[in-house]
Amino acid sequence: MKLATRLVPLVLWLLLSGAALAQTAQEIVTSTDRVRNPAQPFRSVLTLTEYVAGKERDRDMLAVFSKEDPATRQFRNLVQYVEPARDAGKRVLLDGHSLWFYDPDSKVSVRISAQQRLIGQAAIGDILTVNLATDYTASLVGTESIDDAARKPRQCWHLDMKAANDLATYSHVEYWVEQGSFYPIKGKFYSDSGRLLKILYFRNFADRLGAIRPTEAVIIDAVDTSLATTATFGESAYQDIPEAWFQRDYLPRLQTR
Amino acid sequence: MTARGLILTLGIALSRVALADQKGDENKDLDLIPPAAQAPSAPSADASIAAAPTRKIYLENATTQSWLRGGIVAVPPPPPSEWQERLLLDVRDQWRLGRDVSLTYSGRLNARAQDGLDFPSHENVTNDLREAYASWEPHEGTFVDIGRINLKSGVALGFNPTDFFKTRAVVEPVSVDPVVLREDRLGTLMLRAQRIWAGASLTAAYAPAVASGSPIYTDSNLHSFDPMFDRTNAQDRFLLKGSVDLGAGFTPEWLAYHDNGRTRWGANLAQSISQSVVAYAEWSGGPRLSLIDDALRFGRANGPLPPAAPGVLPDQARQGFRNELAAGASYTTDQPKITFNLELNYNQAGFSGADWNNWFQAGRGTTSRSPIAGQLWYIRNYAADQQEPVSRSTVFLRADWVDAFVPKLELTGFVDTDLQDGSGRAQLTADYYLSDRWTVGGLVLVDFGARHSDFGSLPLAGSVLFKVVRYF
Repeated sequence: MKLATRLVPLVLWLLLSGAALAQTAQEIVTSTDRVRNPAQPFRSVLTLTEYVAGKERDRDMLAVFSKEDPATRQFRNLVQYVEPARDAGKRVLLDGHSLWFYDPDSKVSVRISAQQRLIGQAAIGDILTVNLATDYTASLVGTESIDDAARKPRQCWHLDMKAANDLATYSHVEYWVEQGSFYPIKGKFYSDSGRLLKILYFRNFADRLGAIRPTEAVIIDAVDTSLATTATFGESAYQDIPEAWFQRDYLPRLQTR
Repeated sequence: MTARGLILTLGIALSRVALADQKGDENKDLDLIPPAAQAPSAPSADASIAAAPTRKIYLENATTQSWLRGGIVAVPPPPPSEWQERLLLDVRDQWRLGRDVSLTYSGRLNARAQDGLDFPSHENVTNDLREAYASWEPHEGTFVDIGRINLKSGVALGFNPTDFFKTRAVVEPVSVDPVVLREDRLGTLMLRAQRIWAGASLTAAYAPAVASGSPIYTDSNLHSFDPMFDRTNAQDRFLLKGSVDLGAGFTPEWLAYHDNGRTRWGANLAQSISQSVVAYAEWSGGPRLSLIDDALRFGRANGPLPPAAPGVLPDQARQGFRNELAAGASYTTDQPKITFNLELNYNQAGFSGADWNNWFQAGRGTTSRSPIAGQLWYIRNYAADQQEPVSRSTVFLRADWVDAFVPKLELTGFVDTDLQDGSGRAQLTADYYLSDRWTVGGLVLVDFGARHSDFGSLPLAGSVLFKVVRYF
């Protein structure tokens, strides 16, 4: 009986936290998608800094134009390399199954596969804008406190997400979202075989496109943990992006003005 | 509380303890963030995006050593150079003049020395004016361009039947990789109009004749500073092409091209088959002469063949509907990420087995100064100038591996094999990106096959190249 008395507060706490879970897992993911990126079309400059064994190895800069497809509720992206100098002007169209790479040197657009898209850094721009609620089915594992990238404790929902369609880049994702704010804190991305591929921390929450959003992500390669990349959004602005931009023949015309 | 309730509550409590342990593990992931990346970058204020540069400027030094061999059919003088030293300044830039108008320039200044080339001479310095044109966008999605434009078409890599403006346009390439050949070529003086809608586009181009035709250039008779419109604008040419998105990203492109009173039709198809595979096909067809007759007609009209020179090979001289096709697929492996392209290329106007037998038969025992040898090699040089395969059927395999073995090393290789005789051309290129500004690289090229074969009969057995590139 004594044991039962001691457990009452614990049971009450469990019941209360259960009430907080009334929001469905899918709604949580949808809400945090909106924190990450707005519904309106926008453009950003994404700076990618690659670290190998703790040392900075490479720095790329991409201009990214993003617009949500009202039919699929998924973002389409046009990416142009700004740096390094050898890649300046190369462009990638990332629109669901329609993936094209344009090289201004050869002036030719080449259709690429989803697998080929992951070569090079342009795919990071796509991964950071993806609406996870569209491509994944989420379930709630529980609530827990984990440290964010600045080692500050955050009370989070712990979500387990399974790929819902063949456009999903990863077959399985673990996701931590701060309760109340819906800030994305951390993600772990797995292959079909269950192998952990990437660990992602969101950080640097600041005013971006009219709301407090993460402006930086740290992406750790879980296969080779000596590799890490930081992706920083800058120069974000809303921009009207015509539908005509999202096709192969527009790639040579893309102006980053 | 019942015993069952207690057990359930205890179970939940224990799972909480397990979660707490897991939380501890989760926080260990933070140790994987490199110390240099621990501090977040200062957030950028929302602002108007700076004009992202499309400029690319680089200085490249390339040294080539080649190995020659004797063949069944003697090669007319001058022989191919055995070594070449080349310094090139490559510039591509775009300037905006207001909201709707822009100017584009693309060119390459070459300084070169090679055996068989006098030094100093005007041949040591050449300038390739690839592009210089103005663009105007009078309405959203409507574009008008005028000037020298590199208008390219085609989804294949090894052979592009629908790339109608490729003929005579390639100038002194550093590599014979078909992907590189697309980069080292002159644009065509033209007026181009393009309309791009959501899910569709239409392009019309007119390239006027502004110069007379000229003989095929060699690397020893290039002009120093000359736009060489004789290569790109010796006849009136028209192109109309359009594409429509039929859903799921399937966007076939259809083309109609007209010159010399002939119209050729074309199509480009590319579609994702799976997460790793893209299949593609490129076709063109229309009335034309065989490669042999086309070459002789061109050589007689523009030199160096005498106007009444008899053909040394059986004369077909009959124009018929002939097809060109490139069909293949790309496949990207999971780990490591290597992209392979395998293509079947077909040129109906090209040499058949009988044509090859006739070619070798006619050339047997000739000397390098014989008009017969001259005409036989002229036909093959014409095919290279037109960017079309000599043989009817070839298989092209290309592989590209980024971060090969070590980070920053990119390996690219291709093998182009003649299906009639098994001869081929193989090239392996390695580029190591020392930094954002410096790249060092090299390539090895080998032409293999029997002496009685397409690639085995070429005077070049192989070559190696070493290069250093500085980007600005």
